[in-house]
Amino acid sequence: MVGAQKNLYFSVTASIIGFMVAIQFQTVSEPVNRDTRDTWELRNDLMGEKELQSELLQEIRMVEDTLTKYESEREMSKGELLKETLEELKIEAGMSDVSGPGIILTLQPVMNELGHEVPMSYVSPSLLQRLINELNMYGALHISIDGQRVINTTVIRDIGTVTKIDGHSLNNLPFKIKVITKGSEEAEKLFKRIEISDIVEDFFVDNLQMMIKKPEEDIEIPGYQDTIRIRYMEPVE
Amino acid sequence: MWLPLMGLVIGVIIGLLTDIRIPPEYSNYLSIAILAALDTLFGGIRAQLQNIYDEKVFVSGFFFNILLAASLAFLGVHLGVDLYLAAVFAFGVRLFQNIAVIRRILLTKWTSNGEK
Repeated sequence: MVGAQKNLYFSVTASIIGFMVAIQFQTVSEPVNRDTRDTWELRNDLMGEKELQSELLQEIRMVEDTLTKYESEREMSKGELLKETLEELKIEAGMSDVSGPGIILTLQPVMNELGHEVPMSYVSPSLLQRLINELNMYGALHISIDGQRVINTTVIRDIGTVTKIDGHSLNNLPFKIKVITKGSEEAEKLFKRIEISDIVEDFFVDNLQMMIKKPEEDIEIPGYQDTIRIRYMEPVE
Repeated sequence: MWLPLMGLVIGVIIGLLTDIRIPPEYSNYLSIAILAALDTLFGGIRAQLQNIYDEKVFVSGFFFNILLAASLAFLGVHLGVDLYLAAVFAFGVRLFQNIAVIRRILLTKWTSNGEK
């Protein structure tokens, strides 16, 4: 009886061991799939894989192309936009050369009866400022005085009996004042208005004669040469 | 004597038929459990032959050794030390000793039987 029980225990233990061994055996010895393909089959399979690879590569290239296109488009558009804005702002600020229809005024000393120049030839800053104001009133877009571009921050003042415009002396007469307007019509209007303006007489009082030429289609005005220094302006938050 | 052998065979057959597979990362544990079980089995046979066999010792030793070996391996994996080698070593040595003892006992029995 005792021996039978002993045997039973041993048998159960042995069967458990056998079970575990079998499982371990199955786990460890994974069935090895032997490759039985011959050269041609291998070649065909390789070809198929290669085709797949090339297809995938093509796809990748396509996607990358699209990506770079998008990128460059984005870059371009951004850059272009910025450039355009910059140009616009430059023109508005008077930093770039401009050309267009307009009129040319020439200031020259008045001749006396003998055909000699009256010695006193002094352009007063206030008069010049008035002239600029009038020109602006009558639709001038861009103004230059003796080749000096007049912008918003331009200073016209008297320094030691010499009238200076942004540091440029206006002491050799005659000089030209170029004005550009929006279009030919506006130029015509400006021309007429200046012709009948009191300012011509005001200049004559100062022994200066203002010659007003007929409107021209293409007048060139140089850009502002120096850098614009802004001291009392801050961007709005 | 033939009953345990038959049990072993039956166990193997059941194991093969059920087609159970454990994940490869756990095969370490199973192998060490097998080793522990074998050790216990041979220890039991030796005890039987030396007439010091105890049922409780055998059964408890069987399961306890398996669990201990497996937990040792588990600990080893988590500590980064191959602790299961210690179990393999210990069980391996014990296995050889047990088998050697069994062999000697059987030899003495056989020679004494032959003398009779």
